[in-house]
Amino acid sequence: MSFAWLVLHNVWAKKVRSMLTALAVAVGVLTVVSLGVVTDSIRTTASGVLELAEAEFVVAQEGIGVLDSALTETQLDMVRELPGVDNAVGVLLNTSELGDDYPLLIQIGVRPEDVRPMGVRISAGQEFDADAEDEVMVGIRLAQDLELTPGDSLEIDGEQRTVVGVFNTGSEFGDGAVMFPLVSFQAEQMVPAGLSLFFVQTSGGVAVSEVQQTVEESSPLLTAIRDLVEFGQSDPGFELITAIDQAAMIIAIGIGALVVMNTMLLSLVERYREFGVIRALGWSRRRLVGLVLGEAMVIASVGAGVGVGLGFLTVWILSNLPDLLGVLEPIYEPWIFGRALITAIAVTVLGVMYPALRAARLSPQEAMRRE
Amino acid sequence: MSDQLADDGAEPVIEAVEVRKTFNHGAVVALDGVTFEVAPQEHVAITGPSGCGKSTLLHLLAALDVPDSGTLRVAGEDVARLERPNEFRRERVGLVFQMHNLLPHLDALGNVGIAMFGTSMGRRERTERAQELLDLVGLDGLGHRRPPELSGGERQRVALARALANRPSVLIADEPTGSLDTGSRRLVLQLLERLRVEEGVTLVVVSHDERVLDAADRVIHLRDGRVVDDEGED
Repeated sequence: MSFAWLVLHNVWAKKVRSMLTALAVAVGVLTVVSLGVVTDSIRTTASGVLELAEAEFVVAQEGIGVLDSALTETQLDMVRELPGVDNAVGVLLNTSELGDDYPLLIQIGVRPEDVRPMGVRISAGQEFDADAEDEVMVGIRLAQDLELTPGDSLEIDGEQRTVVGVFNTGSEFGDGAVMFPLVSFQAEQMVPAGLSLFFVQTSGGVAVSEVQQTVEESSPLLTAIRDLVEFGQSDPGFELITAIDQAAMIIAIGIGALVVMNTMLLSLVERYREFGVIRALGWSRRRLVGLVLGEAMVIASVGAGVGVGLGFLTVWILSNLPDLLGVLEPIYEPWIFGRALITAIAVTVLGVMYPALRAARLSPQEAMRRE
Repeated sequence: MSDQLADDGAEPVIEAVEVRKTFNHGAVVALDGVTFEVAPQEHVAITGPSGCGKSTLLHLLAALDVPDSGTLRVAGEDVARLERPNEFRRERVGLVFQMHNLLPHLDALGNVGIAMFGTSMGRRERTERAQELLDLVGLDGLGHRRPPELSGGERQRVALARALANRPSVLIADEPTGSLDTGSRRLVLQLLERLRVEEGVTLVVVSHDERVLDAADRVIHLRDGRVVDDEGED
């Protein structure tokens, strides 16, 4: 009989207690995993806007979410003139839906002459005319999903549009979008000369961060975003989501730890005599704490596994809800598993430490007297 | 045996000098100047009415507690000055409880083996020693039975095997026959005697049972925390 065997045996011998404790850990892990995946997936999906064009960085309105950013063509002209800026393309963004299969349809207003400089390739057909009112181009993923080819009709927001081309951006986000001629799209959205974002390409030999700084210094209304981290920081909505996610993690760990502590304290009362006997037989306090912690770690591992499984199931259910189809594309980053493991260990260690120390402090003769 | 000790000049295994132990900040005096010696391999019984201090003395002998004053040396160690009492309990003394106190979810081999954790013995060595001890107490073939599957006498024999796991110098038993029927009681007493001879241990048995007292070389009577009679002492 090895110590590890004894740990596993004790966990197995008290199945109900072990199961309840593992369940508490699993609930904590489930909460943390599902919230983490959802937050990360939404952030990644939304940040796909950064990949719409081949650009070093994106300029948006300072202090507003990227998708709600409101800029002007005057600001675009000013950015184009800044040192280090080689080219800047302005787009107007809006969201809509296209039936149940596409609850989130990204609409992009762009000048036809800017399409190719943005790095967008035309896979079929051609660009729309600059002043066309009913012509659109569709992303290659959308075209495949809806079996659209140039010449087909597509109803968007109650208006019939003619698909004149199919484009390929190379990004999941962009390839599910629809492009409109900018001028008519601005008129439709009632924002003449309005834009949402500028995609900026820098001149060769110039540090991108310096150009970013130049753009931000040129106007307090502008922010330059280069990556996912800056994207998250630029959007108060995402900052809030991240804060909620972190708060939920702390609450989940706290509640989980309390449930684990409660179960382990009940178990301690149940095992007073056992602990007293093994202390009387010469077990050290450290070995006894090691036994209790070892049992807890086995339970934590089971809880973590179950929690991760349930978390994935929850995310799968959420991502298949009609309202979230296409909005929540689950992304399982390795750090999610790390976070699950940390949660499980934190819940267990916090929950078990007090009962374990109480067990270690038990006087053997006192413990053996108890029934 | 005490005469033998005096004659041989051998160091006593247990040496208690004016041992005093109180509880509740001195309000309850459990032991009040207890003095006695026990020679190597001697079989000593301690008896007395309830509340006379037997269990307190047993706890002190097993280093489960320390005296307030006086000197108590067991197996060459002053129990009041032990740096690692758990090591002392594991390696110098073996404990047998009245209610056997086996762990119900472990089988007989596991119950014996659990006493050997923390020693230098490896897993295989522990298992072999546990099996050897179960054979010694006549439980060969019952190693994989759990306590609920054993009779009262068999459980007490597992407890005896466990107490001997680390080859202690002293075996301390608290009412070892208290919960046993006549047949099992006789078996356990015979076994205790055999273990004393074969394993070379010193036996200190706390009991009210006349047959247990009769089996001892010497009987120490306690009353109100004092030794009132030490049969066999000069």
